Amino acid sequence: MGNRKNSYSMIVAIVSILIVFVIIKFIAPYAFMYLLAKDHTMPTPSTLMLWYMILAILGSLVYVSTSDLKWAKFLSFILPAGDDKTKAIFQKIIVISFPLLVGWFAYSGTMPGTASPVELRIQHPTLLQEYEKLENPFANADKETKRRCVEEGKILYQQNCRPCHGSKADGNGPFANAFRLRPINFTDPGTIATVVENFAFWRIKEGGPGLPNVSTPWDSAMPAWKDVLTDTQIWKIIMGEYVTAGVVARQREEMEH
Amino acid sequence: MSKLIPFINFTSKKLQLRFVFTLFLVIFLIALATGAGMAQEGAESAKTTEAAETTAEGKTAAAEPEPEPYEVVDYRNFFGIDGRLIVWIISELHLMFAAFVLAVPIFVVIIEMIGVKSGDIRFDNLAREFTKLLSAAFATTASLGGLLAFALYGLYPAFMRYMTDVFHPYMFIYALCFFGEVFCLYGYYYSWDLLSRTPKGKWFHISIGVMLNLFGTALMMLANSWATFMMAPGGINMETGTVTSLYHAFYNFLWMPVNIHRIIANVAFGGFVVGAYAAVKFMGSRTDEERAHYDWMGYIGNFIGLGALIPLPFAGYYLGREIYMASPVMGNIMMGGAFSWTFIVQAILIGMLFIGGNYYLWNGMSRIKGAERYTPYIKYINIVIFFCFAVWLTPHNLPLSGEERALIGEQYHPFSKFFGVMAAKNAVVNLLILSTFFSFLLYRRANKGETKPFSSHGSAARITLIITAGLTVMYLAWYALGLRGLEMEENILRYVSPLVTCLVIQIISIVIAILLTFANKGKIAQSFLFVVTTVMAVIYFWYYGFVVMEKANLVLRFLSVTQVSIVISCLIVNTVIDVFLFKDAKEVGGIQWGKIPHRSQYALLLLCVAIVTLMGLMGFIRSGLRMNWHIYGYMQDTSAGAFTPSIAYMGWTVSLIVILFLALVAFVFWLAGLADKKKKHA
Repeated sequence: MGNRKNSYSMIVAIVSILIVFVIIKFIAPYAFMYLLAKDHTMPTPSTLMLWYMILAILGSLVYVSTSDLKWAKFLSFILPAGDDKTKAIFQKIIVISFPLLVGWFAYSGTMPGTASPVELRIQHPTLLQEYEKLENPFANADKETKRRCVEEGKILYQQNCRPCHGSKADGNGPFANAFRLRPINFTDPGTIATVVENFAFWRIKEGGPGLPNVSTPWDSAMPAWKDVLTDTQIWKIIMGEYVTAGVVARQREEMEH
Repeated sequence: MSKLIPFINFTSKKLQLRFVFTLFLVIFLIALATGAGMAQEGAESAKTTEAAETTAEGKTAAAEPEPEPYEVVDYRNFFGIDGRLIVWIISELHLMFAAFVLAVPIFVVIIEMIGVKSGDIRFDNLAREFTKLLSAAFATTASLGGLLAFALYGLYPAFMRYMTDVFHPYMFIYALCFFGEVFCLYGYYYSWDLLSRTPKGKWFHISIGVMLNLFGTALMMLANSWATFMMAPGGINMETGTVTSLYHAFYNFLWMPVNIHRIIANVAFGGFVVGAYAAVKFMGSRTDEERAHYDWMGYIGNFIGLGALIPLPFAGYYLGREIYMASPVMGNIMMGGAFSWTFIVQAILIGMLFIGGNYYLWNGMSRIKGAERYTPYIKYINIVIFFCFAVWLTPHNLPLSGEERALIGEQYHPFSKFFGVMAAKNAVVNLLILSTFFSFLLYRRANKGETKPFSSHGSAARITLIITAGLTVMYLAWYALGLRGLEMEENILRYVSPLVTCLVIQIISIVIAILLTFANKGKIAQSFLFVVTTVMAVIYFWYYGFVVMEKANLVLRFLSVTQVSIVISCLIVNTVIDVFLFKDAKEVGGIQWGKIPHRSQYALLLLCVAIVTLMGLMGFIRSGLRMNWHIYGYMQDTSAGAFTPSIAYMGWTVSLIVILFLALVAFVFWLAGLADKKKKHA
């Protein structure tokens, strides 16, 4: 280690990339397990893994090339090590591990496996036109009628929806565990709270079978309720369901110039 | 001279590359044409059989053979290619050229004014060089515009008949403005020498430039109203289509948001395009003088682009919100439905713009002596920016395999749950903007040494600072009072009060920052304001966004505006403090223009490609959101090309548009430069 002039920025960059990898791959699943009080780890999905790692590599390359000096220092690591033993060892590690890494990528990419295909999902399939202009018949009703509708809706919800979506609308009904794609948790603010009531009406009425082609592949087990419930009942269920879940549907705002 | 040079050198690598590229373009176009054209052909034949049936009925009534009746068609195709594809490509090209032609005069006039004020001839020359590009691009814009009109009237006659019925008075105004623009543009360009001789003449010249801008903006706004009318029609009877109010058809609900978004985006677009022009010129320069000039030009281009890029997400957010307001269904299609994946692509492109812009600034610091003092900060900014980028592009709905979903045990992985929703996106985009701004402040002070105390700048500085801070504080207070006065249910209103508190804290911080600046502690004032803003607008609102989402979704819209207001107030006040902080400060070593690595120039090229692609993509989204409507909710598109394209199809088309635009722009700029080459050789 006599020669202190050697720059180790390439090693620093590689180590930083490795740290990011370790955090995403090994630390995050456990961190989420403890933070969210789950009984199992939450492994990072492979798509995110890939994206984040690309960003980490890109970020390191951007940083080491922000000036000519840094770039030259970064590249200088591949020059002969001279009497710097540590550098020589690192160089050997890089020379051996890089082809191994590439080989591993090639191997794992081409090795035959039995993974099910990755599905590109669209969260809100496009609302059909015939549902777009619908309006809740009780939207402008007086307070008392509304209250009654909500109460009736709550009962209807418990009768029809509870087995899957749960009595608290949290997606934890007695049947919930039987589905690979769990029933939606309505108390999650990212679900029914982000759509207008019409959307919920369409989903209840047409269910999984009524999803348009653009939304396939989609393995929703939601039944189509149009043959079981009347439109009025569905509207009441929607009113009751939002109250049970404790969220509000997306509102139309007042338009003014 | 023994060696014979053939007329065409077939062994030239360049020529071969050109052949390959032309071949690629031809194949690409044919592939697109056959793929898209077939669908339309079926529709055409169906139409004609329908028409034939109706005429057949007529024939039975009157036994005499009649002359062939005049046939009214609603849709045509372009020599077998789907009409929609043709209109898409032409309108996008027209828009891109128009964006350039509208944006460049905005900053040309400003640069010229700076030149007059500072007496630095370099600014005047730069403004002139930009105008040269402008006049070359202008004719192309006009030709494309004409072509677009022909394409629309030819391929969508029924739709255009209705649009003409509604908007014909404005079409004449458009033509009038166009004349104004033509006269101003050529007057501005050709009178440059003539009017430069006297100061009075110079100011007259500048006012022609201002007029040019006014006409240009008017043109854009007129055309915008037609496009936004199609998205959110107003002033017509939605059943019959009768015009009830021409004013409301014109000033429709989305008109202003689109106007604002487009003006800002055009400036960013123009800045990055001239930046790329300068980069190409820089890399081809032979002398140090040329290199210095084009380096500086590239810097200005990037500065303009970044400057406009900073407020752009706010304008985009405003537009998005108004789209939700005009139609929540359209909003859901945009952010959660068929178009949600295009927004991930958008996120990548915007991330590239921010990273590219910062990268250029950081590389540029190497040509400034004294920048070493600030380079250690780069690594932290870099980490922050890439972290923001990672959050920014994490989708709420991830592509998951069945096994992964089983392992996670629910619909959303925590990463997409916490990073994928609006609360997180807003937080990181604000952090991205704050860090880019911070980067820029570092760049600005790289060359500056010892500063003069604020008190030495006299009362003018103090007044400017007080006015700026006063206006900002007034705006914040006005918004806070508005929040206080909201009429909502008590349990929701509870969640608004923290927003008001944050606004009040920001007001107090601004006052403290101003007082610190008066006490000659400007740097501390800036840091203080930065810290307060980041803690509130990024960290606190990220957390609070989730609280609000869970408890009172309605408050989310106020939260975003509060967040934006706080960040903007910080940017404004810190900029003004910075201006006075480094006014007349000693220079450390000067900027050595031209001494910048080529890497940075490639970054400028990347920025140009990214913003052109972004404009192509966003144009598709804006127009595509109508789905199968010509005029949303009133007139349906019944042509075979009305389907919403798949992401792959959109990707190919937008890429083709980008290639065509860049090729056309390169050609037009090359033409504009021909005269200069002659002059040099003479």
